[in-house]
Amino acid sequence: MTAHPQGVTMVAGTAGWWVLLAYRVPRVPSTPRIAIWRKLRSLGVAQIGDGLVALPEDARTREQLEWVAADVDAAGGSATLWRAEMLSARDEQLLVTQLQQARAEEYRSLLTEAEQLGADPVTDRARTLTRLRRELRRIRRRDYFPPPEEELARYAVESLAGRTGQPIRVEGAPA
Amino acid sequence: MRWMTRPGIHIDRTGSAWLIRRFIDPDATFGFVTDRADVPADTVPFDMRGVEFSHHGEDCTFETLLRRHDLLDPVLWRIAAIVHEADLEDDRYDAPEAAGLDAVLRGLSMTCDDAQVIELGTAIFDGLYAYFHRALLAGKDPA
Repeated sequence: MTAHPQGVTMVAGTAGWWVLLAYRVPRVPSTPRIAIWRKLRSLGVAQIGDGLVALPEDARTREQLEWVAADVDAAGGSATLWRAEMLSARDEQLLVTQLQQARAEEYRSLLTEAEQLGADPVTDRARTLTRLRRELRRIRRRDYFPPPEEELARYAVESLAGRTGQPIRVEGAPA
Repeated sequence: MRWMTRPGIHIDRTGSAWLIRRFIDPDATFGFVTDRADVPADTVPFDMRGVEFSHHGEDCTFETLLRRHDLLDPVLWRIAAIVHEADLEDDRYDAPEAAGLDAVLRGLSMTCDDAQVIELGTAIFDGLYAYFHRALLAGKDPA
């Protein structure tokens, strides 16, 4: 099996359609504004400009951005959703790389934590392992163009599981 | 009553359709439209941006339907926790079943059309309801 089929495709610059959210939220009150920002961050959006974010389009990303748009409406702001295609393959590649690097950084910090945990006594690991697995699942959920770090992080976390005597999860399951 | 939602249904819409049929409107039929503007006047839209039966605040559509119809059944709220976590993944509830049900429904939507997913979803959610009902009565997970 190819390690990163999506990644390989993306290098060719064929992300296809993107879904864009253009939004404005009032500065005050800040609570809904921050909640919207957190939600966008958890979705792993590409920030195209001020109040303009993008995700590669699929049924889930479109729906998630629709709900953010509804949150923006509820916060007294305004939001519009767009479906877009980038005219320059090179620009698109830059955007994809930007997203990949953001995720790679998250995988690297997870990897570091998993390696540190590996030095701890086996009995202390179980709880942290559960947290690391959840964190890994979260990152993979917002990882649209998996970088090589994805496999490294997954391997590091799962080898901890191996050493605590828990069964190793089946690899290659889609996020 | 005819209930309308967006095509490409997943867990929140599948669960909501089951909830509507079993607890709100036994004669419910379902239709699909992409745009809210295409919702016919004599139908009820759900799980669409800007309609009453949809996401509100932190709630997913399934939870909104429960609240708006004063459905207090703890078994339904247990199922709501699963639907919420599978749909929104914000750790509001502890619902480890969410990931599994999410995969089941995503898989179904690859092999079936929306109307079939609603039918199969009805069987799945009937089973979940029976399971959590028994769990509630027994005070522990059924064997």
